[in-house]
Amino acid sequence: MPISSLVLTLEGSAEQRAAVLATLARDTRITVGEPQAGRWLPVVTDTATLEEGASLAESLRELPGVQLLDVVLVDFSEGAR
Amino acid sequence: MERRDFLKSTALAAATLAASRLAYGQERAAVAPSGAERKGSGLSWQKAPCRFCGTGCHVQVGVEGGKVVAIAGDQQAEVNKGLLCMKGYHVGLALYGGDRLTQPLLRKGDKQVPISWEEAINIIARRILQDPKGFGLYGSGQWTIPEGYAATKLVKGGLGSHQIDANARLCMSSAVTGFLATYGVDEPAGCYDDLDTCDVLIMWGNNPAEMHPVLFSRVIDRRSRGEKVTLIDIGTRKTRTSTFCDHVLRFKPNTDLAIACGIAHLLVENGTWNREFVEAHCAFRAPSEPATLQGKAISFEEYRKLLAPYTPAHVEQLSGVSQKDLRMLAELFGRKELRITSLWCMGVNQHTRGTAMNSLLHGLHLLSGHFGRPGDAPTSLTGQPSACGTVREVGTLAQALPGGRSVTSAEHRQQMEELWNLPAGRISDKIGYHAVQMWERFSTPKEKGGDIHTLWVQVTNPAQTLPNRHKLVDPSRTLPDKFLIVSDAYPTATTRIADLVLPSAMWVEKNGMVGNSERRTQQWFKMVNPPGQARDDAWQLIAVAHRLFELGFEGMKDREGRFLFEVKKDGRPVPIWDFARYYDVNVDAHLFEEYRKSTRLKHKDLAPYEEYVKARGLRWPVVQQPDGSWRETRFRFAEFDDPYVAKGRGIQFYHSTSHDDRAQIWFAPYEPPPESPDGEFPFWLCTGRVIEHWHSGTMTMRIPQLQHAMPQAYVELNRADARRLGVGNGDQVTVETRRGSLDLPVWVGGRGEPPEGSLFVPFFDERLLINMLTLDEYDPFSKQPDYKKCAARVRRREAREAKG
Repeated sequence: MPISSLVLTLEGSAEQRAAVLATLARDTRITVGEPQAGRWLPVVTDTATLEEGASLAESLRELPGVQLLDVVLVDFSEGAR
Repeated sequence: MERRDFLKSTALAAATLAASRLAYGQERAAVAPSGAERKGSGLSWQKAPCRFCGTGCHVQVGVEGGKVVAIAGDQQAEVNKGLLCMKGYHVGLALYGGDRLTQPLLRKGDKQVPISWEEAINIIARRILQDPKGFGLYGSGQWTIPEGYAATKLVKGGLGSHQIDANARLCMSSAVTGFLATYGVDEPAGCYDDLDTCDVLIMWGNNPAEMHPVLFSRVIDRRSRGEKVTLIDIGTRKTRTSTFCDHVLRFKPNTDLAIACGIAHLLVENGTWNREFVEAHCAFRAPSEPATLQGKAISFEEYRKLLAPYTPAHVEQLSGVSQKDLRMLAELFGRKELRITSLWCMGVNQHTRGTAMNSLLHGLHLLSGHFGRPGDAPTSLTGQPSACGTVREVGTLAQALPGGRSVTSAEHRQQMEELWNLPAGRISDKIGYHAVQMWERFSTPKEKGGDIHTLWVQVTNPAQTLPNRHKLVDPSRTLPDKFLIVSDAYPTATTRIADLVLPSAMWVEKNGMVGNSERRTQQWFKMVNPPGQARDDAWQLIAVAHRLFELGFEGMKDREGRFLFEVKKDGRPVPIWDFARYYDVNVDAHLFEEYRKSTRLKHKDLAPYEEYVKARGLRWPVVQQPDGSWRETRFRFAEFDDPYVAKGRGIQFYHSTSHDDRAQIWFAPYEPPPESPDGEFPFWLCTGRVIEHWHSGTMTMRIPQLQHAMPQAYVELNRADARRLGVGNGDQVTVETRRGSLDLPVWVGGRGEPPEGSLFVPFFDERLLINMLTLDEYDPFSKQPDYKKCAARVRRREAREAKG
């Protein structure tokens, strides 16, 4: 059950940012933190497998309105037990 | 709190901190959480540089139960400021592929059978004793600094030859010769801080969005914060980097020299070159007859005359870059108030004119005075974690000695003989074979001059990464008395054809030190045990050296008859050649402390080992201050930061080849490449990397997430070419060059979108070895091969053919 800690850099337009936030809110695997300066969004993903985690991260990177995705931390200790 | 909730809240805190740093810059960020603060999760955390590329990001490695179970970006690391890329995210899993090599294997007939380490060490020692000068060591920019130093000492100090070279010959040796030809000393003057202050970033044949993504993010984040940074992509194909750029300039392969000459021509003719800077700090050079790395001195008027043919119209015709774009580039370079940083990597280095192109890029910055201020820098990036720290600085190359010394200098040889306490004359004055030559000699029968009988490969995969494998590698496998030894962590294309395979410890399974692209030396400690009988590469080298010593080989003794790698603890030698005792002392620290004594000659001063334990790397020269502290240097040759620049000089190139503190502005003409498309082979073939995989995929193809994201190699085609060939995505085609052919699936409309008449094939996939087809022509100075352009043809495979 890996947990990943990500930062999404959102595009400038308010509509795009709202659309991204709405998409994230619909996914129960995702916890969203407080946006920093409106555009830098801390996100934590909690997935069943590392593969699902990577796939989810990739889909977030490709999401319209997301300019960049940076990875901060991945914890796969639960899966390693 | 449940463990899981704790992990999630820690993860969210880390993400919020990183987001805050991105939003507000470093100044407003909270103090980064240290490893100790995260211990509540039950994990122990320690720092290490990422195992993959040359960027040098630091990670925090979480260990639990003797296993790496978590990876975090290191908030204290200046390079990555707590962030990681897709590969860094998975670096911990690189240790845990299911097929790690765990015991030595010896080829018997068509099988590789397990043997003991004792037997393996004996076999290598016997091969060396048979003919020490015919033994070669082929290493890597992934060797740690102590490993590379041990290898260099073994071959150059012990065997009395220089038959040692490294895979970095294939990726950055043209950068080395470019620096030497321009400044008289290797490695960039600037650093990554330039990315935080430049107004214009020009990427020459470079794709940092995929190859150095964390560095590229630093620039994109500045833009996101509202700063204006103009990005310019000058390349031969579209990449992920191109999509972020304000200007995308496409040139015909090999014509980058014409573009650089064209910009210089405009600066001179428009009078926008920086006369004051040039007159104070530069001189002019042109190629000499015979050709040498120093060339011949020329006057400004001669330089101007040599540039005269490179008019915008002529350069447009040669390169395909419009006159308008050429003028735009010249106009930017001509503006003194701007800060311009150039980045380049394999596109410029893997080039039969790589030295010339590197020199021209430095020359543009010098001619325009865009040098020596933060943000004004010509910077070559490296692809491997220690191409700089180990190969370039330690000098694991056929012509080099540690600390920027040269094999051909009697003074330098004598200095190393003193440091190593060797008898006078032990170090040979004869340059060894460079990578291509070394493998060519290994693949040539002895009676025809093939005087390399045994090659030991460490931490690299040449059967996949050398060009023209049919010529350089495969013949050795059928020749009698050619013996290939390979140390690696996983089975590779090279281990599979080896006579002896040695299982290696990797990354945090051992102590290590590396040096990244910006002169930053980094250190980490062993955190977990390697699997089975896998052992440190440095131990392997020392164990062989000691076996030779036991057998009475004089080369492994110093002047007093002591073992070359003797390490003492409490005044008594420790038997570090016995792996059970190897970690009784910190062998890395011992080797590093010895090596660092060699680093002052070229002002590449390194601090004591313990300073690197405390830091997230330090950029050399690291100079001790009056209060006893150690200070790194961000910008070389500039008085405001470099302690070796004399007071009042402003800029001082203190290793100038002309011995007058001047850097050289080179003229180098455009010349056609050794092989160009023609009627028979009408396409350009370019090879390279992809974001998911690192180098030959030895590590990343074993990380399921990365392997699934990019499972196999492909050939990227332009849509028009695909239409003409009648192929679409997934169809099989045969790509053929004068050296071989390969069947590959087609990708149209992918990431690269090569221009019409061009193909791109990545080299990470050992099942689809594109280096069976590439050209083994190389740059005359750096000896670096050109993987970026050769002539090819493509034909559609019929369904029946594809099935067969």
